[in-house]
Amino acid sequence: MTATHSQLAEAFNKDFDRTTWHDEALWFVRQKRDSAAYGIKEFQELRELASRIKEHTLSNLDKYLVSFEQNAIRNGVIVHWAMDAEEHNKIVLDILLKSNSKRIVKSKSMLTEECHLNPYLQKNGIEVVDTDLGEHIIQLRKEPPSHIVLPAIHLKKEDVGNTFHHHLGTPAHESDPQRLAEAARQHLREKFISSDAAISGVNFAVAETGSVVVCTNEGNADLGINFAKVHIACMGIEKIIPAWDHLGVFTRLLARSATGQSITTYTSHFTKPLEGATMHVVILDNGRTKQLGREDFRNSLKCIRCGACMNTCPVYRRSGGHSYNFTVPGPIGSILSPNLDLKKYSSLPFASTLCGSCTFVCPVKIDIHVQLYKWRQIIAEENILPVYKKWSMKIMATLLANPLLYDLGGKLARYVLRITPDRILNNNWLNSWAKARELPKPPKTSFKTWYIQSSKKK
Amino acid sequence: MNSRDSILAQVKNNKPALSPLVDLPPFEGDCSMAMFKKSIELSGGKLIEMNSVADTEKIILELFPSAKQIASDIIRGTIAVHSSTDNIVLRQIEVAVLHGQLGVAENGAIWLTEDEMLHRTLPFITQYLVLVLKKEMIVSNMHHAYSIVVPSAYGVFISGPSKTADIEQSLVIGAHGPRSLTILTYQE
Repeated sequence: MTATHSQLAEAFNKDFDRTTWHDEALWFVRQKRDSAAYGIKEFQELRELASRIKEHTLSNLDKYLVSFEQNAIRNGVIVHWAMDAEEHNKIVLDILLKSNSKRIVKSKSMLTEECHLNPYLQKNGIEVVDTDLGEHIIQLRKEPPSHIVLPAIHLKKEDVGNTFHHHLGTPAHESDPQRLAEAARQHLREKFISSDAAISGVNFAVAETGSVVVCTNEGNADLGINFAKVHIACMGIEKIIPAWDHLGVFTRLLARSATGQSITTYTSHFTKPLEGATMHVVILDNGRTKQLGREDFRNSLKCIRCGACMNTCPVYRRSGGHSYNFTVPGPIGSILSPNLDLKKYSSLPFASTLCGSCTFVCPVKIDIHVQLYKWRQIIAEENILPVYKKWSMKIMATLLANPLLYDLGGKLARYVLRITPDRILNNNWLNSWAKARELPKPPKTSFKTWYIQSSKKK
Repeated sequence: MNSRDSILAQVKNNKPALSPLVDLPPFEGDCSMAMFKKSIELSGGKLIEMNSVADTEKIILELFPSAKQIASDIIRGTIAVHSSTDNIVLRQIEVAVLHGQLGVAENGAIWLTEDEMLHRTLPFITQYLVLVLKKEMIVSNMHHAYSIVVPSAYGVFISGPSKTADIEQSLVIGAHGPRSLTILTYQE
């Protein structure tokens, strides 16, 4: 059986100081997002516009996909279509083999993580180097990303120092971020210059012009793509936007929501390949059309992968990205993953307090917390709730539907809580709720009794 | 049915009823030099206002007195870079001085295309990047920018030097690309 979110979160929580540090580091990013968002007066209007542009696009997606394809072909780009991860990986490998490409540089792409492209290519004798600094760190450590924008946010500089000492030969105990980044710069420049092909993700694909837009801060996508003879851009069908002018809306929202910058350092528009080079676009479904057919959940396809919902989520911040066991962690991942495997990811929609903070910050206004709640209903209907959750819900439902039972239950609970010794009450094994907190002292009377009594006094 | 057709068929089958495409309102904003300067500094860049484009050479000498490998189509005495320049030459470039087409006041981003880059890799492989921009070409925000710039073969908005915060959220300037970005503006 797959480990649940709470089991994996428990492992992360063992290091209390690190958990607190992780929490604060992400909250800092959320605060930066706030100042960038409120730095422009039309931010809310832009969210609404972005949401409606995406809504329109999804409602006409087949036509936009075709027009993107036609325009890309006209630009000299080769377009491929993949039903699933397996087909996607085969297409990429095929392009690499046919172009005799052995050394590949890759800029950040959550889609290729989703498809597990790296291990597939490596198995087939191809060297793939992730060039985004965060991605490079976790690639050396053989770990998956723990965040879609900040892939190595779970690591401390000392961890990175150790990894670089082993792999890049930096001095032992070197943990200065400036010097570590410099070592990676020198190491990766060699890779950029000697690569045969470059793989990138896609932030936006413009139907009107056939262009793909890639946003980075490090400049690694442009360095990789421009030095290589072959560029393969991998995208999900939902990356389409109708027109060039729409980029104005999305580029104003993306970096503000992601890292609190007004725009990423590089916003790169690839429309035609360089003379003598080839450019491919691989368009992937992998469950997206299925999600499009789910009325309650199709809005999740509006996502522009900014990560704001993760940075703000109190559960994500204190459980770490790896606890979700899915390429896209956090609130958005918890509504995307059940579409692919309801059983495997059935604990994720419960990894939320339903506080709604994710919905509040989402730049394309996805009703994330509502969808989390709706997935819970489906998980209960499909009868894949864990036994304790199923029965406790049933008991609560009976109790809450019956005033007499509710009063009696309350009295009993107050009595039992009062006479039970603390060490039993807050025993982690008996009461998992008490793992990181303590139960408050029970009140003497119920609210109902208190209300009746205090009304009489008046 | 091939994958293309079956994906398109599934999309057609599963998509919601057509919702209308909204018009973009004209978002006006501040396109002053003061705003542009503030945004450039916030992105880690530096702005210098010149009197004339002829001052570029003098300023580059002041900024990079010891630089030997300068690539530019604006100033003299530089290394020739064109679309077929060898990687060995490119990787030694210390300073690239290039034209920018347009600047955005709201975020300090400068648009340049393949035509201004001399080689597609030059603005990224150079250690230090200098972009020279006509003052009249500063617009307020991205909406105005996209209404002016057209999708050429390859075009990039560059805002500040290359940077990363991937190690413990500490900002490091000079990730893979330029270690600094200087914008020189001039009036025609």
